[in-house]
Amino acid sequence: MSDVVINDAERTALVSIVVRGMARGEASAEQQSLAEAGLLLIKGPMMMPTPAGTAFVGEILCLPADAPERERIMATFHRFLPVNRALRDLCTAWQVRPDGSVNDHSDPGYDAEIRDRLDDIDDSIAPLLKRFAEDVPSLSGYRARLTEALEKLDEGDNAWLASPLIDSYHTVWMHLHQELLLTIGMSRQEDEALEEQLVSGNHG
Amino acid sequence: MVISPIDDVGLVPFGKGFERGLDVRSLCTRGVQMETLAGLGLPVATGLTIPVPNVPGLVSADRAEAAVNLLETIAGRTVGSTTADGGILLLRLSASAPLDAAGLPPDLVAIGLANGRIPEGLRPRMAADLAVAWWKTASFIAEFALEVPGDEISALGLDFDDPAHRIEPLIALCNEKGKNKFPLEVNQQLADAAAAMLARWTSPRAARARRTQQLPADLPLGLHLETVVVTDHDEAGHGHAISRDLSTGQFAPTGGFRHGVRVSGERPSIGHPLSKLPGGVAMLTGVLAELEGRLKTVVLVDFEYGPEGLVLAGLEELNRTSARVATSLAVDLATRGITDERSAVEAIRPAHVLELMHPRPRLTGHEVVLVTGLAASPGAAVGRIALTSEEACEMAEAGDSVILVAAETTPGDLPGMMAAAGILTVTGGSASHAAVVARGMGRPAICGAGGMRIDRAAGTVTAGEHVLQRGDVISVDGDAGAVYVGAVPIERPEPSFALSTVLNWADDVRRLGIRANADTGVDAGVAMDNGAEGIGLCRTEHMFLGDRLPFIRRVILSSSPEEEELALAALAEAQREDFRDLLLAVGDRPVTVRLLDAPMHEFLPTEHEEVDENWAKMAESLHEENPMLGVRGVRLALIHEGLYPAQVEGLFNAWIDVNTQHGIAPTLEVMIPLVSIPDELLMSLRLIRRVNQEVASRTGIVVPFSIGTMVETPRAALMADQLAQWAEFISFGTNDLTQLTYGFSRDDVERRMLGTYLERGLLTVSPFSELDEWGVAGLMEIAAAKARSARPDIKLGICGEHGGDPASIALCEKLGLNYVSCSPSRVPVARLAAAHAVLDSE
Repeated sequence: MSDVVINDAERTALVSIVVRGMARGEASAEQQSLAEAGLLLIKGPMMMPTPAGTAFVGEILCLPADAPERERIMATFHRFLPVNRALRDLCTAWQVRPDGSVNDHSDPGYDAEIRDRLDDIDDSIAPLLKRFAEDVPSLSGYRARLTEALEKLDEGDNAWLASPLIDSYHTVWMHLHQELLLTIGMSRQEDEALEEQLVSGNHG
Repeated sequence: MVISPIDDVGLVPFGKGFERGLDVRSLCTRGVQMETLAGLGLPVATGLTIPVPNVPGLVSADRAEAAVNLLETIAGRTVGSTTADGGILLLRLSASAPLDAAGLPPDLVAIGLANGRIPEGLRPRMAADLAVAWWKTASFIAEFALEVPGDEISALGLDFDDPAHRIEPLIALCNEKGKNKFPLEVNQQLADAAAAMLARWTSPRAARARRTQQLPADLPLGLHLETVVVTDHDEAGHGHAISRDLSTGQFAPTGGFRHGVRVSGERPSIGHPLSKLPGGVAMLTGVLAELEGRLKTVVLVDFEYGPEGLVLAGLEELNRTSARVATSLAVDLATRGITDERSAVEAIRPAHVLELMHPRPRLTGHEVVLVTGLAASPGAAVGRIALTSEEACEMAEAGDSVILVAAETTPGDLPGMMAAAGILTVTGGSASHAAVVARGMGRPAICGAGGMRIDRAAGTVTAGEHVLQRGDVISVDGDAGAVYVGAVPIERPEPSFALSTVLNWADDVRRLGIRANADTGVDAGVAMDNGAEGIGLCRTEHMFLGDRLPFIRRVILSSSPEEEELALAALAEAQREDFRDLLLAVGDRPVTVRLLDAPMHEFLPTEHEEVDENWAKMAESLHEENPMLGVRGVRLALIHEGLYPAQVEGLFNAWIDVNTQHGIAPTLEVMIPLVSIPDELLMSLRLIRRVNQEVASRTGIVVPFSIGTMVETPRAALMADQLAQWAEFISFGTNDLTQLTYGFSRDDVERRMLGTYLERGLLTVSPFSELDEWGVAGLMEIAAAKARSARPDIKLGICGEHGGDPASIALCEKLGLNYVSCSPSRVPVARLAAAHAVLDSE
């Protein structure tokens, strides 16, 4: 474990920025001190974690191999991956129509079908989030963030499903996925392989 | 009275609806689709529709029993019974509405399991499939018909990995918390399934779906009940086929199939290609061709197959397809004689043309392919390789176009992805987070390029024999999934065969002439390739800039007539070369050359420029407060009377050059800009005629030309009859005419005001993008009438940006103009829009 010591507020700020990949805006006091500790890079209005910052978050989030909750989280994570695939497929359909053309959102029927399927995904993730949060309370915030994105989407702004530039449903989901991977200490490659195995082995 | 099941009007077997006089209002869309399929005379799924008025009754076990009895009579088998080949006969219930609607309740594909349990002794894979299907059906009934709390049902899904193990607890949960016990026999299962569908259709979720599609809030449902034979894998399965290859647009059945039990109403994405279908695709090919011809659209059929062959199980009309598919279909239907050429023109929209003419990598066949992957985000980009997010940011900051090349991307790569012009990853699919993010940012991306290895430490990307370094240039084609070594030029493609065909048919329909705005030979060449009939506007301003600037400055700022004359002679010679290139590209077609229109300040030295002191003083004295309305266009030419003669001398000499050397005779049209006083035109005409005569006496060749004027000021529009005394043609400069009619300064208004005006509904669209029908077009209408009263055969056109806008083109058709002129790349859109304008007015 790294010998850098940070307080709780700094820890939250660092985890948030590592999970998000970056942040914009004026640096808070916590972010300033993280930058001074070499964990964060502030460049104009943009902030990025340094490799040391990313590694540090990996260390603090990763559950020890013998943690009693690890097995439960892994079991739930196995259920998460097929839903994760479904969400990415859905975002893809939202952006690109089946014939490969860009979805210009001029076909209300097409969009309504996808929005309707999103409810199935949201229904599926709800109990999973509940289970994750029982063991890792910091994950409990994702439910509200997903709901907020859904509400904004239903107010009529299509960007709230998959735009990477805002906290859209997909963006929040991607953060959740990243935080889960850091928590269980799994690489993207392992994650992809596991997802493929779970999806192709179970078409239900 | 007992009704014989077959005569029960509340139950309509597939294929019997039309003959009973029913239509989509009661049969709903799926009912009509099954009628259409049955009409082909080929085997269709065994099923019946419960028409709209009879749906509420199905929630009673009596009516459900009648439906089951009828279906068993048609099928000749009993629901729940084991078939000869070891399968089980079950029921599938689906819903549709009298209008196309999304957000319908899901299909319930496994109704009829006795005692609600999976039978013993099935082969493991079949039992597993059936368990998934039954869990979906049973949990839906539990939630929506028996009103068991959804989160308690979800909890079962999490507690038991195997769907087969969830059934007993689900039945127990229903019996404990449901408003009724779980239905254990087929009739009640069907009644409860129908009730569940109706409940779901009244849920907030379904209400939202109807609202967003602007469907009636009380849109009713029809239900459809079919038999499903759940049987062993390799003998049976299900799939779908689309009539066209959606990537090429060609007629070619594409799709897939899967052995085994259908576990939900959704089409499975994992499966085998149609080419491997047992029994081949000949029947499907015939069915799809027949259906395309009947329905005049791309079609999708669902099918099931088993030992007894293929059965058609569903039909969907894909009315919204890509431009490529739409054009191929339109041409094929017209060529087959099913529709005609006018229908084909009507079917293609301007947006289709824009989509097909979108810039793409121009391949010569000599490109070196570095690697291929999945086309994850459309578009193309050329840039230098960056191997980390930080590198990408740094290189982009230094002004380089960057391609981010990574094994995989994480949220940490977001800054690099934003900085990059394109993204290339080794892993990940076309639905990976990276692909979703790239598409959301509009960046071309290729994912899953597994043939590539990245060594960050060494700074290399290796693919096959190629080893590229960080900073090397590559090109990514996000539509094709190909990566090339080096820079591949990105250009607008040539129109495809199908598009060219439709555009040629559009040419037969349209009345308006289509010309292009082009100032150089290259632009004119593109315009002609795109089908322009001539040049409607050649601007000459750029011919005075760059290394020509000193000449024009000498004309404006010179202190002696000799100096001015020398400068003019040099200008005339330079213009001769410019025009020669243009005229060569134009050939024997018409070309409208607009004489100098730039405001004077564009030619004056700026205060930061170091120039001769006299020039600086002179320039200062010529400063204008509002140059766009100052000494510009014809006004500048009448103050410096040598300017237009020098220009037309260059033009006439160029015409003689191409005529004598290449034997071509472009139709010259000389156009005077910014006229507001008819005598401005007359005086210009006299200057030009004089030069024409001088050239004739010097060379012995009389260069034919006609003279015309721009109409850009309201005064010119209102005095068009007087202008037409001398003008043989009038071209409306609708950009200036819009500015001066509204009193809008375009740049200021677009920057500061337009957004607010659009938001508040004061304007519905920018009058600079779409011609204002009432004010500006009103003036044009007056001008056209007046001009024709003075010269009935006067030629009228427009040459602003509006010339490429479909709505404005429709207005020009209405005004009876002779032609529109637009940018070379918009010519195909204008050809189509001009044809639509005729078709719409008929």
